[in-house]
Amino acid sequence: MNDEVLTPISQAMKEGVITRAELRQLMRRSNFAGFLHLLKFIVVLAITGTLVIVSFDTLWLIPAMFAHGIIVVHHFSLQHECCHYTPFRSRWLNEVVGNYCGFLLVIPNKYFRYEHCNHHTFTQQKGYDPELIELPISLSRYLWYLSSIPYWYAQFEALIRHVFGRISKSEEEFIPVEERRAVIVEARTYFALYLLIIAGSVALDWWGALWLWWIPMFLGEPVMRAIRMTEHVGRPNVTDMKENTRTNLVTRPMRLLCWNMNYHAEHHYASSVPFHALPDLHRRLTGFVHVEKRGYLGAHIDIISQIVGRTPRADATGSEA
Amino acid sequence: MKRERKWHNILPLGDLVSGDVTPARLGRLDLAVYDTEEGVFVSLARCTHQGANLCYGYFDGFAIECPLHQGLFDVRTGKPLAAPATRKLRMLDCRIADGMVQVLR
Ligand code: FES
Repeated sequence: MNDEVLTPISQAMKEGVITRAELRQLMRRSNFAGFLHLLKFIVVLAITGTLVIVSFDTLWLIPAMFAHGIIVVHHFSLQHECCHYTPFRSRWLNEVVGNYCGFLLVIPNKYFRYEHCNHHTFTQQKGYDPELIELPISLSRYLWYLSSIPYWYAQFEALIRHVFGRISKSEEEFIPVEERRAVIVEARTYFALYLLIIAGSVALDWWGALWLWWIPMFLGEPVMRAIRMTEHVGRPNVTDMKENTRTNLVTRPMRLLCWNMNYHAEHHYASSVPFHALPDLHRRLTGFVHVEKRGYLGAHIDIISQIVGRTPRADATGSEA
Repeated sequence: MKRERKWHNILPLGDLVSGDVTPARLGRLDLAVYDTEEGVFVSLARCTHQGANLCYGYFDGFAIECPLHQGLFDVRTGKPLAAPATRKLRMLDCRIADGMVQVLR
């Protein structure tokens, strides 16, 4: 039998921050809330997509694709929610939507789900957290990360490797033996569909996918990299959830795009709480999580201050694992 | 010689949260007591994936969702219903008697 791991929510309940009845209320799923938010997200996506179409053959095309790309890459926030089975009440809906987002972003859903499990178990633990983004050692490394080149290299390398049926040593840590075959089949399915879309585009000489999907996605990814950095980068490599994760207070439109994932520390506290209940959980956990009131910008000011040595590096506190 | 199993009180019926999971203890064992429409069921409280306490999870009437990685179990049988849970929950025989939830052990 396993020993109990002290999950952040068990810690919060033992400390009396939240009661079981409150938690139960917060964990309730709702297809309505999920679909309503999805509808708003799709409207924004349709608006920016239209901007790309109407700006064709003008100088506005690049800014329009960049704006559209920012929305496209935010499918990640939805996929992330789906991998926790929280945006929709029905599990199968979370699977379907998670796969749609994962396909769009080249993040195979099953693979991501397993990787993300270990991120929650070993948050910020060097050598254990598969999603850990190191605090860059210099400004040039910081910009290199934001360029998304290392990110895309890692994504495509993993996809191709899985297509060839290979699971790396570090992936063996989080993909159970009985699921490895399914992860490989998933990668092959995604890859075959990408080839099909490319072949279809060539055959029909229709490049909608290029202008409305791929180029915007690559243009927008640095924004997602910047947002993802704000969640843990520059926070200490310790197990204490009050320390290792950052919640960022951002504007309503940003919260719409990121499905409230700016309340990241709250999400780590109780990952079964759906996006629509995170603002409520945030109010209850006041004082129990690290909050960056200046939002994403403030988080990057904090990160850059540490990189240039104006404030002590958070990773100097060492890893507890 | 095999120890004879007997019924142990683990929870006054009045403390059982209706339609939810309630934590209980038997010696050093952490237990999860589930109140379902088909009756009361008891399992070990630790998730078989990485050991999180299921008593903090989301219970929807017959399935308990692990609070750490959202693995899912049928509380009537202990059967894992969704990844990353792959191994069965250990269930304990239980009954209601004398106003108490009891388990056989
Ligand atoms: S610890 Fe329960 S699903 Fe991972």
